Amino acid sequence: MPLIERTSMYRGDSLYEPRPAEITAVEKLTADENLYTIRLDGGGPLGHDPGQFVQVSLVGIGECPISICSSPTRLEHFQLCIRRAGEVTEHIHRLDAGDTVGIRGPLGHGFQVHELHGKDVLIVAGGLGIAPVRSLIQYILDERSRFGAFHLLYGARSPAEMLFQTDVIRWRENKDVNFHTTVDRPDEQWRGHTGVVTTLFQELPKLDPHETMAIIVGPPVMFKFVVLEVLGRRIPQKNVYCSLERRMKCGVGKCGHCQANNVYVCLEGPVFRYGELKALREAIG
Amino acid sequence: MLDRVLSRKRLLELVDELAHARRIVGPVKQNDHYFYEPVDRADRLDLDFSYCVYGPKAFLLPPTQTLFRFKQHAGTFETTPEHNDEPLGIIGVHPCDVNAIRLLDHAFANTHPDEHYLTRRRQTFIVGIDCPGPCTEGVFCGDMHGNEATTGFDVMCYPLSRDDTGGDVRYGVVFGTDAGREFILYAQAGDPPSVEDERAFERYQIEKQAAFPQQIPYGVDTLPDLLERSYDSLLWQATARRCYSCGSCNLSCPTCYCFNMFDEQELALGTGERKREWDGCQLRSFAEVAGGHNFREAPASRLRHRIYRKAKWVKEREGIAGCVGCARCDRACTAKISSVEIYNQLAEER
Ligand SMILES: Cc1cc2nc3c(=O)[nH]c(=O)nc-3n(C[C@H](O)[C@H](O)[C@H](O)COP(=O)(O)OP(=O)(O)OC[C@H]3O[C@@H](n4cnc5c(N)ncnc54)[C@H](O)[C@@H]3O)c2cc1C
Ligand code: SF4
Ligand code: FES
Repeated sequence: MPLIERTSMYRGDSLYEPRPAEITAVEKLTADENLYTIRLDGGGPLGHDPGQFVQVSLVGIGECPISICSSPTRLEHFQLCIRRAGEVTEHIHRLDAGDTVGIRGPLGHGFQVHELHGKDVLIVAGGLGIAPVRSLIQYILDERSRFGAFHLLYGARSPAEMLFQTDVIRWRENKDVNFHTTVDRPDEQWRGHTGVVTTLFQELPKLDPHETMAIIVGPPVMFKFVVLEVLGRRIPQKNVYCSLERRMKCGVGKCGHCQANNVYVCLEGPVFRYGELKALREAIG
Repeated sequence: MLDRVLSRKRLLELVDELAHARRIVGPVKQNDHYFYEPVDRADRLDLDFSYCVYGPKAFLLPPTQTLFRFKQHAGTFETTPEHNDEPLGIIGVHPCDVNAIRLLDHAFANTHPDEHYLTRRRQTFIVGIDCPGPCTEGVFCGDMHGNEATTGFDVMCYPLSRDDTGGDVRYGVVFGTDAGREFILYAQAGDPPSVEDERAFERYQIEKQAAFPQQIPYGVDTLPDLLERSYDSLLWQATARRCYSCGSCNLSCPTCYCFNMFDEQELALGTGERKREWDGCQLRSFAEVAGGHNFREAPASRLRHRIYRKAKWVKEREGIAGCVGCARCDRACTAKISSVEIYNQLAEER
């Protein structure tokens, strides 16, 4: 009688087990944000879509979700821009090149780049929102011929808090992107725009509303103002994308922490079409 | 249609057989209340139990559970996943709890199968005991259809009649799985059902229908729609003013499966474990992120979240109801917040 036998010797994997990965470089971006270049043990690409995230682990400390801020077209490694915000991120900030972290992922639903192929793209990023969209920016620049016009607006609180300064300088010079930045609070050296990111809309040419895909990533207040500008330019809601942030633990649709109304942000998101989110009352602050 | 009829005495003998190979868990009385407890002999089980204070969830999804062990060395680390495959028999599971387990099965199997749960579940044998009537006051399992289980058990026993002298119960048995069939038939226990047995079973079911009072007069199928229209009701705030955000409702719920993850380490050895533990959406910090922003700061928004999950969202996502109507949350709440009362109040506002 099989019922009576101790049959199962099952030793499966765990959904929650991280893979070791090596930090190959650490670059200080601002007082609180570092850029980590990471290589999976054994090499090989992470295999992500722009906009997806990983769970970064320090065993013994914990885990936290971080957007992948490099493009999948850059195969040999991937990058994470990590703000010091609490327990795990504080410990990550103590690490150097050569140290090991654990990686789970890629997780979640990112940008489906084929939906953007052949279209004009407008990206509006505020604050740390530049991190998740940087993977898409790099992707567009690497695969430039697949896209139409490319506009990129980026707002930071102050020049010192502007992330990816090296990229910013390059993007300013790059003819492949119509790039504008602004800061809320300028310092002495700042020569650029001042004001919230919506003020940069005056820099945009007339957009073709049916050929333009708009991507808005930043804090909820910023999102609310920018979405008005975008919809005001008659871009349909289904062509507007955003990325949500929620408390996360499992990252695979089990633990319930990331739930916004009936949506699991770690599974169905973090990237959503605005058209899908409208009905979610909790989605945007 | 019945598959077999069996006396309780014989059932308990089979459970004793089963105990050679499986840890046996079932209802045991402690200070006037019943709890699912491991037992070494079947006669310690009280299959006449009214209801167990908590469902048997803890044996499938333990309150804390190791997910993997880790060992740090030479600047890197190794992990070893932990899966518990100890064979288990849960004896005496009422239909509400069978249905609750069905939901857990589904939630842990979909999209990203969770082997920590599924390994235990595959090793679990479930003997259901049907309820001829409500186990206690205030339950609304009849409304939620939690009082009927058609799958999710290995065998289900329907108490058809009771022998007046010895107190033995005659069960009509339905097999839910091949393992359930073997459990009974391998031992050639009981008898094939006679025509009278089938008639008794029909009568049992008719009487059962009548025995469960309707607690949600507007009907449970109206709830998703009702909730959809009640998002901005003042009732959430009015009710949540009494809420202590203690999470007892989550803790006592057989379908709540949200969890937190955390690490424990032996610093000196460089070893440790990543674990999960039950969490509850009614606790204040459940949706709080670094920097202090809380996506459900107000108790009212947390209460609404729980009720929406139970009566709308879980069903929409998983296809299986998130509430079985056992009313354990209502009984657990010191503030006397009652989900069934909320449903009815919302319906009356309309
Ligand atoms: C999809 C997604 C992408 C993100 N991308 C980035 C990024 O690219 N760069 C970056 O610096 N930050 C990012 N964050 C925020 C980052 O996850 C939190 O700052 C981080 O979890 C804080 O963890 P902690 O342990 O340091 O803080 P603590 O306050 O000690 O948090 C304890 C735990 O709570 C959970 N938690 C707390 N805050 C958050 C939060 N905001 N989001 C999710 N879980 C949280 C985590 O499990 C965390 O380990 C992202 C968040 C999400 C959801
Ligand atoms: S048991 Fe009652 S008081 Fe406690 S969190 Fe639940 S509803 Fe609030
Ligand atoms: S993070 Fe656990 S469900 Fe999304």
